[in-house]
Formats: sequence, C-alpha cells, structure tokens
Amino acid sequence: MSKKGMWSLKLTTASLVLIPAAVAINFIGKSFAGVLKLPLWLDAIGTVLASMLAGPIIGALCGAINNIIYGLTMDPISFVYAITSVAIGLAVGIMAYNGWVSSLWKAFFVGIVVALVSAVVSTPINIGFWKGQTGNIWGDALYAILIAHKNPVWLSSFLDEFVVDLPDKIATVMISYGIFKGLPKKLTVLYSNDNKTETL
Amino acid sequence: MAEIKIMVTVDNLKYRYPLTEELALKGVSLEIASGEFIGVIGPNMAGKSTLCQALVGLVPQFYHGAYGGRVIIDGLDAAHIELSKLASKVGIVFQNPFTQVTGAKMTVYDEVAFGLENMGLARTEMIRRIDEALTMLDIYEFRSHNPFDLSGGQMQRMAIASIIAMRPQVIIFDEPTSQLDPQGSEEVFKAVRSLSRQGMTIIMVEHKIEKIAKYADRVLLLHQGRVVDFDRPQKVFSRPDLENYGVTAPVFTNICKGLNITDKTSGLYPVTLDDTYRQLRANNSEFGK
Amino acid sequence: MYLNSMSLYQPRQSLIHRIDPISKIFYILAAVAVPFILPTVTVAVICLLVSAVILLLAKVFRKVIPLVGFSMVILLSVVVIQGLFMAENKIPLFRLGPLIFYQEGLSFALGLSLRVLNIISAFAILVLTTKPSDLIESLVRKGLSPKIGYVLSSVLQIIPQMTATMGTIMDAQRSRGMETEGKLAVRLKAFFPLIGPVVMNSLINTRERAMALEVRGFNSPVPKTFLNQEFKSAYSKIIQWTLILIIIMALVWRILGWLK
Repeated sequence: MSKKGMWSLKLTTASLVLIPAAVAINFIGKSFAGVLKLPLWLDAIGTVLASMLAGPIIGALCGAINNIIYGLTMDPISFVYAITSVAIGLAVGIMAYNGWVSSLWKAFFVGIVVALVSAVVSTPINIGFWKGQTGNIWGDALYAILIAHKNPVWLSSFLDEFVVDLPDKIATVMISYGIFKGLPKKLTVLYSNDNKTETL
Repeated sequence: MAEIKIMVTVDNLKYRYPLTEELALKGVSLEIASGEFIGVIGPNMAGKSTLCQALVGLVPQFYHGAYGGRVIIDGLDAAHIELSKLASKVGIVFQNPFTQVTGAKMTVYDEVAFGLENMGLARTEMIRRIDEALTMLDIYEFRSHNPFDLSGGQMQRMAIASIIAMRPQVIIFDEPTSQLDPQGSEEVFKAVRSLSRQGMTIIMVEHKIEKIAKYADRVLLLHQGRVVDFDRPQKVFSRPDLENYGVTAPVFTNICKGLNITDKTSGLYPVTLDDTYRQLRANNSEFGK
Repeated sequence: MYLNSMSLYQPRQSLIHRIDPISKIFYILAAVAVPFILPTVTVAVICLLVSAVILLLAKVFRKVIPLVGFSMVILLSVVVIQGLFMAENKIPLFRLGPLIFYQEGLSFALGLSLRVLNIISAFAILVLTTKPSDLIESLVRKGLSPKIGYVLSSVLQIIPQMTATMGTIMDAQRSRGMETEGKLAVRLKAFFPLIGPVVMNSLINTRERAMALEVRGFNSPVPKTFLNQEFKSAYSKIIQWTLILIIIMALVWRILGWLK
C-alpha cells in the first residue's frame, strides 16, 4: 500500500465487500472461542484482518459496523463501544502499513499497542457508563481492590480494562497475523486500493 | 436478408494478472455478431474466464494487472467505460450462484431490483422489468422467498433474471452449471436456450460439451491464452488434433468417427443426435440411388 | 422468512410498528438526552415509564428482557462494588456477613441502572418494531451512502449464512480427530483449524461477490432509486418536532434551575 493509498477514501468494491466478511469473522471467532471455552473473547479477528488487508479506513469502518450490527441485533449498549472498535481498526491499519505486521514478534508488539489503544479509548466510556467497571469478573475484582485502597477511579478503570484486553488483543493480533500470512497473494492484492493497470 | 450487426469485437487482447509472470491471454482477436450463440471450450488455464471477464470490463477494471489490445461491445470500450454503463450492454453470470446473491435483499423480487436501483430506474419501470424477468426465468412463484432459501438451480436462475432485468444485448455465462445438480443444470440450460431464441447474443463457457454441440452456432476453442479455432461446431469437433488441446469431442462425434458416418462433401462429423440421424438418412438415400 | 437474517424485529400489528424508523431514532435521542440534561431519579423513572408504555403498545414488552440480560452482569457488579467500595461511601445501610453496603454507593448504582435501562428500552423500541431493511433504507434516503447501506444489510444476512457453515466445519475437524476439549493449550490449538477454513472461504467469496456487484452497477454514478416506496407515517413530522421541543424544554428547565 502506498502512502497515498493508506488514507484514500475511494473504497474499492472488493474492500467494501470485505467488511461484511470481516464482521462475520469477528462473530464466528467469538463463537468458536465460546465453544472451545477459551478464556479470551477473540471477537475482533475480522476487524484486525481487514485492517491488515485493506488499511486503516476499512479497518475503522469494520469496527464501527461491527458494533452497530451488535447494537441492532443483540446488545444496544455496544453502539457506544463502536469508538473502541474504530480505534482498533485504525491502530492495526496504520501499523500494518508501517511494516509492523511482518513477523510474529512484531505482531505480538502490535497486540500490546492494540490493547493499550483499546483500554485508553474504552476507559472514558466505562467511567461514563459504569463508573469505570467492565463486567468482567477478573477485571472488576482488580477494580474493587484498587478502589477499596483509595486509588483514583480512572486508574482503577484503566487497569480493569487493560488486564482483560492485554491477553485477548495479543492473541487476536497474533492469530490474525497467522491467517494473514497464509493467504494467497493473488487474493490479498485485490484489497489494495491503488492498483494501476499497465499497458501491454 | 437482414444486415449482420457486430456486437463484440476483440482485437489482439493481451492480459496478465497482477503478481503473475505469464500472460493469461496472448493476443486474442474475434468478432461476434448480434444474436449468435457462442460456445467457449478449452482446458484449464486456457483463458476462458479471463476472456469472459474482459468482455464485461472486470479485466482490467476490477483486477488491474497488465492489459493490451481492445474489447469493443456495441461501440463501447470495455477497458475504459464505467462498468455500470457497460452493464446495460453486456451481463455476466458466474459459476457460483451463492456468491452472486448480493446478500442485502430479503426477497427474490428485491434482489432482482438491486441492479435496477443502481441504474436509477423509475419504480414502475423496475416493476415491469422484474415481473418480466422473473416470468421469463420461471421463478415468479418464488418472488417473496428469501434468496438464500432457493435451490442451486433456482438461485442461478435468479442470478440470470437479475442480469436480464438490466436489459443487456449480450449475456456471458461462465460455467453456469458447474456447481449445480443435474436438475438445476437442465433448468439453467433451458433458460439460456430460450434467451438465445429471443435473439440475445450468448457467450457460454461450458464443460458439458454435448450442450455446446447442441446449442452453439460457433465454438471458440482456446488453449494457453490463444484462439485455436473459432468455427461451426461440426468443424471444431471434427478436428483430428482436438484432444491435443485437452478437449474431448461430443459422444456422437466420436461414435460417428468410429462408424465413419461423415458428410461426404465436407468430411465433417455430426455433433448431436439429430445431426447424426440426418447424416445417416442422407448417406442411406445416397446408397439407395 | 426472518430466519435467514439477524434481527430482533418482532412482526406485529401495532400503532408503533406503523411509525417510521427516523421518528424512532428521534425518540432514542430524546430518551437519552432528557435524563442527561435533568439527572434526577424522577425524570429517569418518567422516561422509563414512557418507554415501557410504548413497548406495551407495540406488544413487544417481554422481548426487552433478553436485551437487558446483556447488561445484567455488569449492573450487578456495579451494585456490589460501588455499594461496598465507592470512595464517597459514608452511611452504612446494611451488612451481609463481613460486607457493609453503603447508602451512597447503592443510590449511585440505582441511578446508573435506571439510566442504562432507559437507554436499552429506547433502543428496544427501534430494534423490536422496525425491520432492519426498512431502517437502513430510511437512512440511505436521508443521505447515508448506499454502499454503507449495502454493507449493513449484507452483514445481517451473511452472518447467519456463515454460522451455518460453522457446525459443518466443527464436525469435519472432529471426525479428523481434532480435540476440542481438555487442556487450554489443546483447545487453543483447535481454534486455528476451525477459524482457518471460514476465513479462507469467506475471503474467496468476497472476490466473487465484488465482481457480481460491479456488473450490477454497484459503482454507478447515477443517483440510486428505490423499488420500495418510502416508509412514511402520517405523523412523522409532528412526532419529530414534538421530541425536539421536549429536549429544548428540558434544556430551558435546566438553565432556569441554574438561574435561580
């Protein structure tokens, strides 16, 4: 992807059609994680993969649409967390463009960054909505301990979100990286939005 | 006699997909007249699908890559004109009925409307065209079903209806029955044939060689991105070197070769049952003289 | 007919079902904004009651329960943790074993629960009484990009199509001897052969679907028209202006409160 390409708003049909597939992959990742009783959500693999394939704009759109669809069909509160999903899409898209999706170790680092971004963006929402809680047993237990020891709400809330996000986002990005590396080039080239036709 | 109108002109078409070395098409030239039924045959990698996609502009506009030569559909340059404009001249039906469903519409009726809404047609005109297309494809009774509830054959006929509602003059079928069961295939062939009878120009890639022999006015034999032959079915299927190009002649052609049932003047073999019967009658009456 | 599509829509014959989706979006805005502008328990309860009446009129009241269910765990967690540990806690209310619940924490949790229930009920009116396709089409008519409209509608149908293949993949991999139970490492390893085929399949499908859309004028520069007639209800404008007026009145009330 070229510099001009990363922020191009001229979305190709192939990359637009990638969005429903990515949202479905998010959904299916989460379902399989549930079936296998994994202690992770793994509900953003599609968004992360789409960001790697088609850049930050498509990644952000995937995140937004993912939460809008969840909001419309399951949990209305998830509308609000669209902002977090958008931030994840942007973060992965930008890092992928800058060459950070080229080895498993780099993917591990991207996972840490994504967890940080996710926690930073979610914390104000969590504070506004739930006085900083997340509803996750482990995260909220940590939050309770921190609050009981008179730590500020913002710090307790951030750590509540971050301890849950860290393993999940690292696993999500690494799994997505594994899948991304296995995709045939002939397929991935379609999602790049600055292809030119040469003349023979 | 009516003047013959050229619908499709392909002039020295060359094409290479992105990230590949070899050309998928290595200088293809041909002309197709309005109302013709063209069967396209050849082994894998012959360039059949690439040619089909070049005729509707997807090559190069969707895939990019490297392109040379020209494809003109009724005066429009397929490589450069907006694909949605070209869509009212030429349509394409792909192999997989499932991926041709837009996925955004809840009923068969609305699904067929998708292309017409994009063309910006008035509502009354849409309704007229959809009713006509659904009736023509014999799926009017399924109009309020969800597209994903249809059988493969019905879904593929819906895909055809979606294309013909856009009123193209040329329809390309790229192995339209390869993913269907025998009944579904028959439904689709019947539909293709009736479109051809109504004067539409048809270009069909198909592995079921008997169907090509039966319906095609001319057969295009492709091999490794080049045109080997483009002629009447009897001529193409009577080639002694046919198998070198990875194509097996129709059953009747092979039987007639074995029994030496041939047109004495041209030396060509029959390609269908009717053909064989006619040739036998002709040859017998000659004997009778 | 709706099995193929993800949706909470409950088909019913009701006055509320005949109201257009945009007016329902206005209602959500009002139901969220008013308790935010006037943050008292009375206002929150009134808003909640209004939503409850609308849901009863729409004959979908009981369908709200599963929607609330998603937020139940976190609400309970808020009640317990804030009741016990909130920094502002002073007045003990009752004791459960060694745990002391405080009045400030619990009344905060009550206010928070009311706000959340209020938002969920307002959204529930929209999602339970509106066909997603009608909602999306209304938004496209109001200026949402038709392409984004397409993406939203297709997600709703493609997810059920893909989940249908999930079971098939599970069975296939199990019959090849894949273990889906046992230690965490075993289960984590099983994740790849499960998700891999789904991803491959869906990405290959996107290429074909993109081509099929292109040849049906998806990128047409012509303004799009609609097969279905616009979903209009007689009182749309009145409803929308009334709701805007209510928000303005709440703001005025709040400002008057400051001036006193």
